[in-house]
Amino acid sequence: MSELINYLMTISRFVMIGLSLVILVRCIRSLLRERYEAETWAYLRVGRETLPIIHWENLLGRSRSADLRLDLPKMGRIQAVLTRNDRGNWILYDVFGRGGVWVNGLPVASNGVLLQDGDVLNLAGHTLRFLDLPLEKRQKLEAKRQVPGRVSPALTLFELTVFQLFLLMQHAFSAKAEHLPMIAFAFAALIVLEWSIYNAMRVIGRMGFEVEILAFYLTTLGLSVAATSTPEDMLKQLILTVAAVALFLLSGWWLRNLRRTALMRLPIAVCALLLLGVNVVASDAVLGARNWLSFGGYSFQPSELVKVAYVYVGAATLDRLYRRRNLFSFIAFSAICVVALALIGDFGTALVFFVTFLVLSFLRSGSIATVFLALTGAGLAGFLAVSIKPYIARRFATWGHVWEDMYDTGYQQTRALSAAASGGLFGKGAGSGWLKDVFAANTDMVFAMICEELGLIIAICMVLALLVLALFAVRSARQGRSSYYAIAACATMSMLLTQLALNVFGSLDLLPFTGVTFPFVSRGGSSLLSCWMLMAFLKGADNRRDASFAVRPGDRMKDRPPRPVYQPNAKGVRA
Amino acid sequence: MRKITTRAVSVLLLAAAIVVGLTVYVLRYIDEGRSWALAFSRVNSGSYGSLLDRNGVKLAYFDGERSEYADDSYTRIANYHVTGDYEGRSGSGVLNTFWGNMQGFSLLTGTTKAEASVLTLSVDSELNRVAYNAINGRKAAVLVCDYTSGDVLCMVSTPAIDPADPDAVPAEGAYINRCLSAAFTPGSVFKLVTAAAAIESIPDIFERSFYCEGYYEVAGVPITDLAAHYTQSFEQALANSCNIAFAQIAIKVGQNTLLQHVREYGFLDKHELSGIPTAAGNFPSDFVGDPELGWAGIGQSTDLVCPYSLLRFVSAVGNSGVLCEPRLLLDGSAPKLSRFMNAETAQRLTEMMNYTVVQHYGGEDSFPGLRLCAKTGTAERGDGSSNAWFAGFLNDPAHPYAFVVMVEQAGFGITDAAPIARAVLTAAVNKSPMH
Repeated sequence: MSELINYLMTISRFVMIGLSLVILVRCIRSLLRERYEAETWAYLRVGRETLPIIHWENLLGRSRSADLRLDLPKMGRIQAVLTRNDRGNWILYDVFGRGGVWVNGLPVASNGVLLQDGDVLNLAGHTLRFLDLPLEKRQKLEAKRQVPGRVSPALTLFELTVFQLFLLMQHAFSAKAEHLPMIAFAFAALIVLEWSIYNAMRVIGRMGFEVEILAFYLTTLGLSVAATSTPEDMLKQLILTVAAVALFLLSGWWLRNLRRTALMRLPIAVCALLLLGVNVVASDAVLGARNWLSFGGYSFQPSELVKVAYVYVGAATLDRLYRRRNLFSFIAFSAICVVALALIGDFGTALVFFVTFLVLSFLRSGSIATVFLALTGAGLAGFLAVSIKPYIARRFATWGHVWEDMYDTGYQQTRALSAAASGGLFGKGAGSGWLKDVFAANTDMVFAMICEELGLIIAICMVLALLVLALFAVRSARQGRSSYYAIAACATMSMLLTQLALNVFGSLDLLPFTGVTFPFVSRGGSSLLSCWMLMAFLKGADNRRDASFAVRPGDRMKDRPPRPVYQPNAKGVRA
Repeated sequence: MRKITTRAVSVLLLAAAIVVGLTVYVLRYIDEGRSWALAFSRVNSGSYGSLLDRNGVKLAYFDGERSEYADDSYTRIANYHVTGDYEGRSGSGVLNTFWGNMQGFSLLTGTTKAEASVLTLSVDSELNRVAYNAINGRKAAVLVCDYTSGDVLCMVSTPAIDPADPDAVPAEGAYINRCLSAAFTPGSVFKLVTAAAAIESIPDIFERSFYCEGYYEVAGVPITDLAAHYTQSFEQALANSCNIAFAQIAIKVGQNTLLQHVREYGFLDKHELSGIPTAAGNFPSDFVGDPELGWAGIGQSTDLVCPYSLLRFVSAVGNSGVLCEPRLLLDGSAPKLSRFMNAETAQRLTEMMNYTVVQHYGGEDSFPGLRLCAKTGTAERGDGSSNAWFAGFLNDPAHPYAFVVMVEQAGFGITDAAPIARAVLTAAVNKSPMH
């Protein structure tokens, strides 16, 4: 019998590694290698040339970074901004450089002008013609665009399912009999869940499923960690997983409407600040960090939800960025978040927010100076934090010398390194490690736990899965409709990558040990919820044809007359 | 939009940083993974091989579920300072020193049982039990080795703990192996060293005679003895363990020459017993003047001797001046031989030590069946108590055993240390391992 188990364990190890690699490669091929063509929304005729307008937010001018590049004499670097809204209304703004902007012979006011098909524009003395695309023409163009799915997502998902079954088998060999039914149920439910979502997407005609597959892959590893470390809580973990996926769908659906999304930024910012405020005032201290709120026997980390809100609020549409260039309110919002987190004592998350802030403010302003300014400020704040909170200073002191402190401040890191190395490339088998018994192994040292039980290769695949998603976010940004989605997707991925880096390298003593979670994999309900919700931003930026449920298909968006509020008037335009 | 696209590269910087970090980790894993993995896995996983004594008794092994020790607690305690424990409490234990050799690890599979190895010790765990029994609760060090092969047959240090069931508050010094890791005031056993130096540096030493009234003053400083021995030869002086004669001999040899011999015999060096480091001893090296040199020559003053160094000395004497370096692991390698002292010096010392046993310790009557050559020592510790020593060897080709026994804060060498040696040597001869 034990011969058979050994044999099955060996087989499953290699099969799981093989499947991980295959899943990863297939997702890379689909997300990063398949053709990713832009949508065309309208044209701009410049002399004999006709430029396609592929975004909803376009900068017009001589600059290389202009979306519609007009390399003409006397043209300003950025001369005008042209935007489109959900209803298909185009508005042209003057940025008030030299040369002026006219439409049909009239100068453009500060609140812009609504463009109609065939309008004649005059930019710095050059005549251009705006050609809108009616729905039927857009449909024809859209029909030619590449649909994802050449790398069948169904097959990839099937491979993931096999991976999950082998993982479950490993748990079956190692888990206690009393926990096994619940573990099996959780894995089965996860498989049902992912196939249901996949089928639902097929029904509504959405073809891109790789983002979800990678998220489910990571969630599976998280489920394995939970089965190993807290098998008595499997039901809770399962319920949270279902809730997280539900919230993901909801958030994605919410993002379909850019106007709605943008309008809710302020209320969400206020909610986030209130949540943090409540957290600062009333919370339970768990080992130095008071980042837990509990009621009715359930506890959650508000900071995790605030992560989603932060990206939501931090992203912005380009026209808004271009016309109101100051970052003041965003910096104030970020500062309050980071200070609140520091007050709570959650310095790891504060650091994650800060790096996300840097990326967001760079994406928004393009100003390296701002980034350096922020870094300097943060350096001072960090110095202050280290001098006020001695335990942080101790962590820094331990960094790089964990083996000299292996019974004190280096306790966790040395165990993590040892366990990770003892797993080798192929691992000891799910549930068969010893690191799980070390405090916080299933959150802060989860990379080492995966290394120990499933091996270094799968642990690296786990990191690569997030890297692939990050590369996809960058790739999507290029073809995005609105910069809101592009910025949100990039900010999301920088947030998750920062978390990943702090988690993995903190536990491996390449960075100070800060105790943040590994996205999706670390045990923790709030973290799982926020990670899945953040994935909605990635889906919102996935502009491939019929790929994402979070993007309204362009060939089915009927043009409608502008809302009254969109009418250019003396009060300006809300975007 | 294109502006944003360009700036999105900042995300790639993060991604690149992670790739770099991961690469650094993988390189460090290749470099240090083995020591990382083995640091804690000896407590936590079944990657250990087994540790056997010379007769195949399992002292530490993995039973398929967890790391275990010998079944019998008596064996575990008696052998504690040989085995040490998985947690590394005793730094000099084999489990601590050789965990890297015992465990299996490969970069591909991590820790594995498959590549774990079996270590066989030269020690006879039963002899250790005999020694432990004879020590009877005192603080002591017992070493026995075969001076023709170097195999350490017995190594017991007390107090010890039961590694499978350690005391919450262990006895003071329970983690120190007194045989290897500490040095003690030697007292009269050191006269063997002084005698060896005298044989080699004073040509007519055997023609000289020494007069002892039980009291002797050097430059106004007294050197005392327990009794007056009157006129005695060099041989008789050793047998009498005459402080006055040996103080005079030490002064005659001179500090530099004596120090040079002490150093040549390795008393001042740290050695390695199969890789386990041992403690260095001490002998006055700065000029101290005759009275102090007299005291140093009889094993007092600031003299310190590690029992292991003394074992090397008596082994070499027993083996005609050739040292067969003691070893704890039987790895099939050939004994390491080196010329330790003149064969003639060793021969003379052997005769003197045998004479001492016959004349003063009762010879065959006290040590039936043992062809013993030995010397006692009763070292004053300066706090009113003394360390009892007994060191020597069996001049018996069938049973070539050298031994050192030291009992801390005990009475006299002959009353407190010699019975332990007798018990262990008798057991060894009766078992007659290897011979």
